[in-house]
This record gives sequence, structure tokens and C-alpha cells, in this order.
Amino acid sequence: MKFARSIRPYSCALLLVTAGACGALLTEATPDADLLDVPLDGLSSTDLAAFARGDAEFSRPFSVREGLGPIFNDLSCAACHSGDGRGRPENVLTRIGTPADGFLASLGGPQIQSRAIPGASPEVVPVGVTLSLRLPPPVFGVGLIEAVPEAALLALADSADTNRDGISGRPNWVVPAAYVPGLSGARRIGRFGRKGQTATLLEQTVDAYHQDMGITTEQHPNDNLHPNDPASASDRANDPEIPSATVAAVVAYLRMLAPPAPGPETPDAVRGRALFTQAGCSACHVPTLTSGDAPIPALRGRTVTLYSDLLLHDMGPRLADARPDGSATGTEWKTPPLWGLRLMTRFLNGQAFLLHDGRARSIAEAIDWHGGEADRARTHWLGLSPADQRALLAFVGSR
Amino acid sequence: MSGTRTAIRSLCTTSILTALCVLGAPAHAQATDTTRADTVARPFVRGGVYDKPFLTRIGGRSVIGGYAEAQARYERVDGRREQLGFEARRFNLFANARVSDFVRLGAELEVEDGGREISLEFAAIDVRVHAAFTLRTGMLLSPVGRFNLAHDSPLNEFTDRPLVSTQLLGVALSEPGIGAFGQFRAGGGGRLTYEAYATNGFHDGLILDSPDGTRVPRGADNFEDNNTTPSFVGRVAWSAGPAWELGISTHVGPYNTSRVDGAWIDRSRQVHIWALDAEGTLGGITASGEAAIVDVDVPEAMRGVFATRQSGAFVDLVRPFGRGWVRTMPGSAFAFKARWDLVDFDRALAGDSRQQFSAGVNFRPTQDTVLKLDFVRGRARDRFNNAADHAFALFSIATYF
Repeated sequence: MKFARSIRPYSCALLLVTAGACGALLTEATPDADLLDVPLDGLSSTDLAAFARGDAEFSRPFSVREGLGPIFNDLSCAACHSGDGRGRPENVLTRIGTPADGFLASLGGPQIQSRAIPGASPEVVPVGVTLSLRLPPPVFGVGLIEAVPEAALLALADSADTNRDGISGRPNWVVPAAYVPGLSGARRIGRFGRKGQTATLLEQTVDAYHQDMGITTEQHPNDNLHPNDPASASDRANDPEIPSATVAAVVAYLRMLAPPAPGPETPDAVRGRALFTQAGCSACHVPTLTSGDAPIPALRGRTVTLYSDLLLHDMGPRLADARPDGSATGTEWKTPPLWGLRLMTRFLNGQAFLLHDGRARSIAEAIDWHGGEADRARTHWLGLSPADQRALLAFVGSR
Repeated sequence: MSGTRTAIRSLCTTSILTALCVLGAPAHAQATDTTRADTVARPFVRGGVYDKPFLTRIGGRSVIGGYAEAQARYERVDGRREQLGFEARRFNLFANARVSDFVRLGAELEVEDGGREISLEFAAIDVRVHAAFTLRTGMLLSPVGRFNLAHDSPLNEFTDRPLVSTQLLGVALSEPGIGAFGQFRAGGGGRLTYEAYATNGFHDGLILDSPDGTRVPRGADNFEDNNTTPSFVGRVAWSAGPAWELGISTHVGPYNTSRVDGAWIDRSRQVHIWALDAEGTLGGITASGEAAIVDVDVPEAMRGVFATRQSGAFVDLVRPFGRGWVRTMPGSAFAFKARWDLVDFDRALAGDSRQQFSAGVNFRPTQDTVLKLDFVRGRARDRFNNAADHAFALFSIATYF
């Protein structure tokens, strides 16, 4: 009895160690906080089931026989958005043309599809045209972005810079496609895409299927063909190649993707937050917005800590692509959200690819590229002591 | 007279007992089985259902057998996705007929996953001219690596087949074709064997049917050659003795449809597979392994997402022990086993690969039946080189019958 009592603690410890080892042996889960593809809190079981369906569709690659192409950039949504985050330079998309020239549709615009199925010709970038490279952005939190009321964005706009702070954010007004329910012909603020050229997740999704993968939907029922190669083959899959239910599942999935929570508030990060505001960064990278009405209850009335005003700003000649889009000019870009920067290298082999074309390999480098309306903030940044710069970077890098 | 009768009775009794002792079971079988082969002089329908050589002439030289395998699997990926289930994995039927001293037919019909997949894996007619030359035609097991030629579950020490075989080459890889095989003496107890066939090869499904990039198994089952140009598959193996063998094999040929109605629509695009296999026993440990490289001439416009070069390899180590430990099964034996497995689906990328280590223990009540307990731990990398860890715990039973 005495012996049994004496070995009990050791037995318990051995069991715990064994259980722990077994967990490691059978693979261990990455904490939700370190992932980019987790659902929002507060979703119903019905919503979670829809989330799982959409997740599978988002990851689903297409074969040629299933409708891939005839011209395309990649095989699936997930093939460009690594872990539902940003892409790599290998996935960069090339956009050409402007609204004035019809996005050079006769030359392959608005987006060059550099790959093609057998029998079809890939598009090549035409010589002498202005082109803009676009890195696939992260897709988490987009449901909350969609749910921010237009009034909240308009309240932040100051297109005439009436307060003379050098910041003149303005919305990119766009007209949603006719197939978007309830918005036909109505002018809306664009909030997706690097220039905010798209107003709804439905458009963003069906355009990506059509342009990036060559997958037809009920919204885009015709194959995206090479404009200058009439002999180029179409694919043999029946159109539309995916049903509306698939599109709806992916849109629902995107809406329900949670943004990553910020990291711990270290002393450096706390100091960096104050410096961020002092430097004027928060004039465009507005820390929080609040969502309004939304089709999914869990999206309604939430604090959205995206660090963006979702408005267009002139970023100066060094970042300019000279390619207007919607009402955005060739020097304007939508303020990119900073949420998730804590995990920006998590699914990219420890590498960072920031700004619209992935040219910046660190947050500091991205700040250095700022110009135009952000010139004053950049100058402030350059004037900071190394310790203060480190603190500011710690703050931004912890979002 | 009486003595003579007694002597004759005694002789008869002795003769009958001797005959019974010598003939044994056949005598007993004859006593209980009164059926005979059909030997009707004039069949009801000439060549009809009861007028087949296996009934009328080949008789006992047609045999049927096979193997069955069932397993329980627990799988976990990245500590999140879990799967626990049971599979009636395979039920394969063998048929074999020695038609004459020179002609033989072998066949294997595979029923997988409870009947979801049924395929004629092998059905070949062999016409033996000489030990060095046997003509073979039919549905052939392609001699690409040794594992494709000998992959029966009761023979394989692991529940799962090697990655290079399943995911890179697509075991069981069988193709319609014609060719020859044979063997030569090669000094001492050694021998040199060869197999060489012309086959239909692969079809363009290896890129057109595959949503994951280039996958050779997707181009199998080319029952009607899509390009009217045969592929060539062959293997040469040298063994110094029964316990050692070294083989090299290749599979080369076009996979795409390059001409339609006589008009060229694309140039002929080739798949080229090289495989090296080896097996040997030393110090009671049997080591076997295989390495393969696949080169695919992918259309230029699909490169970047469809790989042009892939590779893979595995090494198995098996150490039997405990023969006769189970007293009720004197012929039984245990075995420790370990396997390292790697497949790289795109040599041009850092990712798009899978690597795993398997270990476990087997118990064979007899040589023909095996109970396998496996643990597999590995890591898959996507095209971004993001890692996903996986672990499997597997238990399976496989037996010949």
C-alpha cells in the first residue's frame, strides 16, 4: 500500500509525459492565433458548416478537364494566397490598361494570363504599355471590411484636405456589376483590390475565378479567351464550370475569416503605438472602424482593428504605377490594412513581401517607399532615433 | 487349398493397404469426389460454355487464388484534421493456367475499397521459347522499379506502399503491350534477367486530369493509345544470389496527342522515367529500396505550375525475430521494420514534396499471412514550402489464399 502510494506521483508524471510525447508524436496543432484561416468568433454551427464548405472550395485546384483556362495564372485560390495570407513575387499578377483605353482588352488586359492549356496560347505583356504588378493580398478579415458602413469611410474622407494636414483621403467610387444583388447601378465605395477598385466580395471572387484560373461562373459564363489568337483553343468543360453554390460558399468563407489578433503589448510596442500616432501614420492607417449591418450576425457591430481608412491616397511618384483604376489615379493607392503583419512571414518561408508588388522586404523598407501624402510621416520616421524606430517597428510588426 | 486362399487374401489385403499408404490423400479424394473433367466427344455447342479447354483438357492446371487486405487507420494532420476509419482495402483474385508446356496465362483482378475500384491489373499470355526468351502480351505490369512487379499486400511489410510507388509512378502501373522477358546465367549462382515491352504508355491526363500539377499516375490507363506511338518500358536486373538483386529500369514514350486527322497540333511530348532498385540481406536484415526520376516535357505555357522534373526514393529495412515464440504457431515469426520515404513533385521548387518515416512490427502466423502495426510520421510541403506534419497509426491484416 505504502509502495503504491509512493509510486503514484511518478506514475502520474510518467502518464503526463507519455501523453505529451504522444501529442507531439501525433503532430501538434498550431494555435489559432498563429493562423490566418480561422473563423470569426460567434459563428453559428450553420455558419461554421458553410465556412468548412467554402474552405474546401477555396483550396480546390482545378484541372484542365475541370475547366482550368484556356488562359490562366494559377490552379486555385489557395495557390496565390499562401495560408490565406499574401502571395509571393512568383504569384504576382500583371495588370495593364486604364479605364480610358478599355483596359487594353484587345491586348490581353486588364490582367495578363501568362499560362495556357495545351492548344491555347498564353498572353504576353505587350510592348510599350504601362503595367502594374499586383501581389495577391491577404484575404482574412475581408468580411469585416465589407461590413464597415460607407458613412464611416466618408467621415474619414477629406479629399480637399480642408484640415491642411497634407492627407486627403477619398473614396474610390465604383459601380458594382449588374449581377450583385441589390446594388445594380448604384455607386458604391470600392474597398477591395490595391486601389479599392472593387466594391463587393462577390465581384472580387468571380473575377478571380475568371481572370486568375479561367473558371467560368454564372456571373462570367464565357471562357476568358486569348484576344489575339483566334486559333487558340477553349477548354472543353461545360460552362459555367462551377455553380453559383460554389461561388456563394467561397464568398461566405471569405466573409467569415477572422483577422489575426494583435500580438502582446510589449513595452516597445506600447511606445511604438504613441510614436505611430505622433508621426501621423494613423491619419491614414486608422486603427479602428466599426462594422455595421451584415448578412452574417457575427460580423455586425464589431470593432475592426484593421489600421486603414480604406480610402485612396496619393503616395508619390516612387510608388506610382501610372495606371488609373476606377476613380483612382496612377499615383493613388488604397491604404492597406496593417492587421496580420505579425504573421506576414509565417506562410512565406520567413520572408516578407510588402506593398502592392511585394518590393519591400521589411516594414522599414515599406515605410521608406512612402511618399506623396505620406511624405510628412516618412520624414518624421526618418528623424526618429534608432531606438524609437525600433519601437515603432515593434508596434507595427505586432499588429 | 484353404492355406492358398488365406495366402491370397493376405496378399490382397497387404497390397490394398500398401496402395492406400502410397496414394494417401488422392485415394481418399477419389473415394469421395466422383466428378470428372468434361470429356464429351461432341459438345452441346462447340466452343460453348462447357466446351472450354480448362474444363476439357487443361483440367487441374488452371488455378485460382489471391490475397485480401483489411486495415484500421488513424490519421492526424497538423494536430487538427483527424480521421479514424476501417478499410476493406483490397481483394485481389489471381488466375493462372498452364495451357501447355510452352504457354501460360496469368491474371490478377483487383477489387479495391469494397468494390469502388475494380481493375484488371494483370492478364498476360506467355509463350516460352527458351529460358532466355518468353514472349508476353496482354495487360502487363510495367517493369518500372521492382516494387511495381511485386507489391502484394501479404508480401509488402508495410501497410502503405512507398510514396515513390504510389504517388510518383502509380503502382500498380499496368499497360496493354507486347514484348519479352528472359534470364541468363551470370557466373556462379548469379543471373541476369530482363523484361522489355512496347506499350501504349501514358496519356495526357498526367497534366490535363491533374489539379495538383504534374502527376504521372493520372496518365495511366491508356487503353487505346492516344498518339499511335508506342512507349518502351524495360528493366534489367542482376543478382549474385537469391538474396541480392540490383535492377535498373526505364519507361519512355510520348504522352500527348500530337496529331489529329493527320494534322500536327503539337509536337510529340515525352515522359521519361528512370528507376533504380536494389534488394539484399546482410546480418539478418533485409534492405530494399528504389529511387526514381521522372522527366515530363510539359508545354511551355503550363510550366511553373506543372513540374517538368520529379523524383522520389524509399528504403526499407526489415529484421525478423521471434520465430516460434508463439508456441501454438510454430512457423510464426515477428519482424521489426523501418522505412524512409521521399517524393519531390517539383524539383524546381523548394516545396511541393512529401517525406516520411515509418516504423513498426509485424507478426506472421505463417509466411502467407501478416499482421502489421505501423506508425508513420512525416511532413508535406506545399508549393509555398509551408509544412504540414502528419502522423498515421495503422493496423492491417493481409493474407494470400
